[in-house]
Amino acid sequence: MAEEFNTDGMLDMYLFENEQLLEQLQERVLEQKDADCFDEDSINEIFRTMHTIKGSSGIMMFDNITHVSHKLEDVFYYLRESKPDNVPHLELVEHVLEVEDFISNEMDKIRNGDPADGDGNGIIQSLDQFLEKIKNGGEAPAEPVKENVHEEPKHFYIAPVATSASRFYKIYLTFFPETEMANVHAYKTVYALKEVAEDLLYSPEDIISDEKCAEVILNEGFRILLQAQCGEEEIRKIIGIGYDIKNVDIFECSADEFLRGFDFGSPQDLLQIDLDSSVEDIEARTQEQSEAVAEEKDKKPAKAQIAPGDFVIQSKEPGKQKKLARDKQKSEKATFISVNVSKMDQLMDLIGELVISESVVLQNPDLKVPGLNLNSFNKAAAQLSKISTDLQNVIMSMRMVPLTNTFQKMNRIVFDVSRKLGKDIEFEMIGENTEVDKNIIEHISDPLMHLVRNAVDHGIETNEERIDSGKADKGKVTLSAKTEAGKVWICVEDNGKGLDREKILEKARKQGLLEEGKPDSAYKDKEVYQFITLPGFSTNEKITEYSGRGVGMDVVVQNIQAIGGALDIDSTPGFGSIMSLKIPLTLAIIDGIVMEIGDSSFVMETGVIKEFVRVKEEMMIHEPNGDEYIMIRGECFPVLRLGKWYGLEHYQESVEKGIMLILEADDKKVCLFVDRLIGEQEIVVKPIPSYIKKVKGLSGCTQLGDGSIALILDPVGLIE
Amino acid sequence: MGEISELRKQAEETQSALDEREVQKGKYMTFKSGNEYFGLKIQYVNEIIQYQTITAIPETEDYIKGLINLRGKVIPVIDVRLRFKQPPFEYNDRTCIIVINVKSTVVGLIVEKIAEVVEIKEENILPPPTIGRADKVQNKYVYGIGKVGDSVKLLLDPDKLLNDEDLSVVDQADMIEVED
Repeated sequence: MAEEFNTDGMLDMYLFENEQLLEQLQERVLEQKDADCFDEDSINEIFRTMHTIKGSSGIMMFDNITHVSHKLEDVFYYLRESKPDNVPHLELVEHVLEVEDFISNEMDKIRNGDPADGDGNGIIQSLDQFLEKIKNGGEAPAEPVKENVHEEPKHFYIAPVATSASRFYKIYLTFFPETEMANVHAYKTVYALKEVAEDLLYSPEDIISDEKCAEVILNEGFRILLQAQCGEEEIRKIIGIGYDIKNVDIFECSADEFLRGFDFGSPQDLLQIDLDSSVEDIEARTQEQSEAVAEEKDKKPAKAQIAPGDFVIQSKEPGKQKKLARDKQKSEKATFISVNVSKMDQLMDLIGELVISESVVLQNPDLKVPGLNLNSFNKAAAQLSKISTDLQNVIMSMRMVPLTNTFQKMNRIVFDVSRKLGKDIEFEMIGENTEVDKNIIEHISDPLMHLVRNAVDHGIETNEERIDSGKADKGKVTLSAKTEAGKVWICVEDNGKGLDREKILEKARKQGLLEEGKPDSAYKDKEVYQFITLPGFSTNEKITEYSGRGVGMDVVVQNIQAIGGALDIDSTPGFGSIMSLKIPLTLAIIDGIVMEIGDSSFVMETGVIKEFVRVKEEMMIHEPNGDEYIMIRGECFPVLRLGKWYGLEHYQESVEKGIMLILEADDKKVCLFVDRLIGEQEIVVKPIPSYIKKVKGLSGCTQLGDGSIALILDPVGLIE
Repeated sequence: MGEISELRKQAEETQSALDEREVQKGKYMTFKSGNEYFGLKIQYVNEIIQYQTITAIPETEDYIKGLINLRGKVIPVIDVRLRFKQPPFEYNDRTCIIVINVKSTVVGLIVEKIAEVVEIKEENILPPPTIGRADKVQNKYVYGIGKVGDSVKLLLDPDKLLNDEDLSVVDQADMIEVED
């Protein structure tokens, strides 16, 4: 296997490239899964992707991957060549995805250092059957292709295509006899012609590696077969008679002649022209030269037979296609580098420090000396602040990743589950470009998967049920994302049957979740729906492969809460439900209110503060045991005096001189009494060093503008 | 050729690292707390910083004074006098914080007065006295008594300093004085 070589770098490259290819592949397949068939572009793309994977896996000796991708390549070869119109599209999509899964799986194994030992035979068999099926249904033109596929599946060469405007030329170049290294000069010409060529053959063929052929070129001339759209004049211009080329003869010829290669054009020539190997190698070599990022897919591993039968594709221009694909890869490679997240964190810390020391400089007491002329200082200071703000924004944006990949995964899940369940479901994504902190993305992937599965499995009815209930439209799952008020909202919406309030209440009663004596109608819809997020709560009678065990929703809620988010459930019976995840944009920075108690500063996350109230002594209710309550607008809140609770010094005793904060967390409200408010600001959350044992009600600490440290209050801890 | 010079470079680096350890060996950072001078192996000491504002943390032991901001890193600080159950002292702007790193826990130690860095040879380090009080094991955080000239330094085990439950140095310190 691979470990016989020193393949570390190669292996990384292999995994990275193929992973990207598979991602693109999946995206493309899913894009067109609802169409009747793949369009030509996609067929080519899939074909090429498989070809590349096959090639590189072959090199890395991952035989199972090679075989499976080869088989799929065969299928697409057939599709491309014979264009059967009876292909069961969805089945094909499934096959493609199956292969993709298989390869991803194997690559995961390889990445973890395990041998890629998955058995691809099942897939190969089913692909064989599938191929057989579409072939048998296919028409006569399938025959020659079929042979080709079976006998020498690897041996084909897809020449760029003759469009009606293409013209064919035979070009004879004669060099001055004293020209040195004529082969290089010849190559230069070939290279120049590449620009316009749709197809290009030349002889002698290995002009780069074989220096002896310089002699041959000098003695017998250099011959080029060119297919291009330009006229003779243009070709002459490109070749350009110079100090080396003595003479250029250009003859236009027919496509037929062109295909037959050199022997037809110059039968008197004694030179043996090796048509078997030339085209591939030349193609590959010239492309390597012309494109820094040569695509492997163009390097056909085997010899090609240039036979008329190969030129079957009529309606597209693969030349252009290839170019497109190549450009794309190139730009991706240039655009992304992967950076260790810890380095990013480090950078972020440094910038945080920079901002703090900036404020230390700019608000330095030394500047407060009266009579100083600070005009130019202030200008420079403003510039500095601007740069540091920009810097902050950039580092924040570096951590931001679009949700596209996560959403793409969901697309796949909808497809798989709906196929398995036999439901006809459309999937729509809105706002998948919304950017979220990388850490957050890692946390929401699983919950989102649960929600989407639920929507497909329970939310949307079976096709029959939909018809019965008179729903004309297809089942539809919409996944949308948007940013609002510093939070990201991700909604999973389905147009299915909605949540069954009665059923949930019934189940809740069975599990003893309802309060005694409270009538059902007293529960708000949202309260009822929240029951389904409790552990072990599933209204589904039967367990399916995908959901129904009642472990899903509580895990979802736990995961979401772990990153400071919330799940909101809304539903209209008969019209579907919406699950909305509200998650913070980033974990590292939160909006907070800074407040003071005695000499200490504290920060409270803005989101949980419902209001600030100044209160009067007579609003207080004192219990004999020391507990205090307060009556505000007819509602009674427990009062928590932070100063007293934490045993701080110099805190405000009189409620009339301080301020009350009404906090709400976990549906409970509490009044927090503090001395005074300082202001609102964005704070960078840091953990309290582990040397200090956990204090209830504190979730972390942060640096304030003056470099001092404030403690971040944890509302949930306080309420407990 | 390149490889050889690479190897040589590596060897030199190793040597210099060894040298550094060699230089540090036997050196102790000494500071005063109460009437006694204490010593800490110098390799535990990261740096010495000026006293700065400390953010108190509620509901912690009294010797944990709170958190300080050390160039963007938040580190806890403890008051060594309180740690040893000695009476507290007033901080002023000459008060220093020794930042130590013990098994990658970074902690600041507030000490009354920083003395000097001294070299104490192995043979001048005596085991702590255990006379009459063998059952009393609190003094194990003082793992030795170093003699420098005619004064003594109590050598501290920083791990125990940070993590042991209860420390009380006063009586032992007195005792040692008597013994001297």
